[in-house]
Amino acid sequence: MRQWITVFNREMLEYWRNFKWIWVPVIFILLGVTDPLSTYYLPQIIESVGGLPEDATFDIPTPPPADVLMMSLSQYSQLGVLVVALMSMGLISGERKSGAAELVLVKPIRYSTYVTAKWAATSVLVLLSLIVGLLASWYYTNLLFGEIAFGDLLLTLLFYSLWLFYVVSISILLNTMFKTPGLVGFLTILLVILTSIVTNIFDHILDWSPAQLSSYINIVLTEGAIPNELWGTTVVTVLLIVGLLTLSIYTFRAREMA
Amino acid sequence: MAELFETINWGLIAPIIVIQLILMVTALIDWARTENTNGPKMMWLFIILLLNIIGPILYFIFGRRND
Amino acid sequence: MPIISVTNLLKKFDGHPVVNNISFKLEKGTCVALLGPNGAGKTTTLRMLSGLIRSNGGNITFEGLEKTADIRSEIGYLPQHPVFHNWMTGKEFLVYVAKLADLDKRTAAKEADRLLERVGISDAKNRRIGKYSGGMKQRLGIAQAMIHQPKLLILDEPVSALDPIGRREVLTLMEELKLETTLLFSTHILNDAEEVSDELLLMHKGDIVESGSLAEVRQKHKVNKIDLGFKEGFTGFEQEIKALPSVLNLEVDKNKISVIVTDTDIGREELLRLIQAKGWPLDKFVVGRATLEDLFMKVVQE
Repeated sequence: MRQWITVFNREMLEYWRNFKWIWVPVIFILLGVTDPLSTYYLPQIIESVGGLPEDATFDIPTPPPADVLMMSLSQYSQLGVLVVALMSMGLISGERKSGAAELVLVKPIRYSTYVTAKWAATSVLVLLSLIVGLLASWYYTNLLFGEIAFGDLLLTLLFYSLWLFYVVSISILLNTMFKTPGLVGFLTILLVILTSIVTNIFDHILDWSPAQLSSYINIVLTEGAIPNELWGTTVVTVLLIVGLLTLSIYTFRAREMA
Repeated sequence: MAELFETINWGLIAPIIVIQLILMVTALIDWARTENTNGPKMMWLFIILLLNIIGPILYFIFGRRND
Repeated sequence: MPIISVTNLLKKFDGHPVVNNISFKLEKGTCVALLGPNGAGKTTTLRMLSGLIRSNGGNITFEGLEKTADIRSEIGYLPQHPVFHNWMTGKEFLVYVAKLADLDKRTAAKEADRLLERVGISDAKNRRIGKYSGGMKQRLGIAQAMIHQPKLLILDEPVSALDPIGRREVLTLMEELKLETTLLFSTHILNDAEEVSDELLLMHKGDIVESGSLAEVRQKHKVNKIDLGFKEGFTGFEQEIKALPSVLNLEVDKNKISVIVTDTDIGREELLRLIQAKGWPLDKFVVGRATLEDLFMKVVQE
């Protein structure tokens, strides 16, 4: 346990020194507030840009607050995932490429310790970034569009964070398979997109795919009740994360540092 | 355009501008402290300063060398 | 009692053996040089010993350890090109690896300070490693290898990447360390091996071709060769030397002459007498000393 905390703390220290603790949450805040603000000001923006014929009545209905929060989530599912993939792509692969991992792995430390501590550190960073980002989005949505209950926000956070943990886990697995950070980042994004595509194609059987998390959260926000499928999806996503991590430890152990 | 500026509630936008400034300042501090960047160091200064929001983010993700 | 016994250790890369069923033992408290040209399999051997890569066969037995136990807890390893986290300070890094080796917080800090002092970089302990010189990094590397007081210290080419000053610093440090622990280091430079080690393991193309104490190996592969060096160029020396009864052959290279003799004792006497009589400007006179190249030529040919 001491070794696990050591790796975890070192990772945290690194996030301070390379400012990840600042820029990752800031990106999540900006992604979170973009949609509430731009949607709110959309009529004015269109008007001021002008060019519309005088008689064109341009009536943009104000979306309900739940839709606005969902827009922020879809930002996280696109650009947020991109940021997570890019910031985690060198987590292990970079250390193996440079050789810095050698000095760690000659010490009597378990491979599982190294892999899971790294996963946990990145997940904490991602989770905290998501929390501040969603809080910002929620604040502006409440202010400009109408109230969303804090409880609903918590549920959104709880279930949506699973999706990002899933992305981190994919990244970790690829990190243990390849030594080139760029390749890891690219494949992570590819696999996440693939998850969504496969889920879309086999929509009727993949009720519990992690890619469904957003649509169930939408139901939570609009209907105020947790659909049964969401629990199934939660279990499947947690199992997938555990599976990905187990596979990561296995590949890391099997793969030589050479 | 002037009309747009009048209708905007600056109380709403101010926090965003502050956050954006924080992002740019941290990027600049890091830029000043680092010895090497991926690609020419001066290029990154311009990217950080001239590309709003995106510039500092690009710098942190692609510009800074991790070691 | 050997501290580590290696039997039939095998490593293949892409089906091609890089380390070919080697066996050897290291005695406790000795300082052993693993000597060989680049590509001989030295690094691969050391990485197998330190648990970084797996072997394709053979056994490594460590004194007092179960076969299944984690050998890394007893071994300190310095890679050929150690890469540190440059954003950490020297002290932070040592405390970090100490805790990785499962030392508690207080012991980790104490050991880190002790070793920083020991390797002579305690002045720089709060500076970022990125600002360290090559010699300082190498000394930090040695400190990190020793942090958990391993029974065997393995250093891979500890001085080959250093400038002459750094090299001297590290060789002196190794000289001291060998009194405290069992030391195994690799090098492709015979001089470095001679300077520090008691024993030699000679590696060539994945095989251990020779082993033993430095003197033994030297004696065994003594060549009947006398090297002469002169202060300035010369003419006609070779003919006169060749005329000596004990001289079999000679080779001229600028102002050096290598003479192969039937017997080094007789050869020495004859040569010295001749040189003295003629008053030649002798600069260097080396008897029966094989260079690493000579040694290898000889060992490999046999």
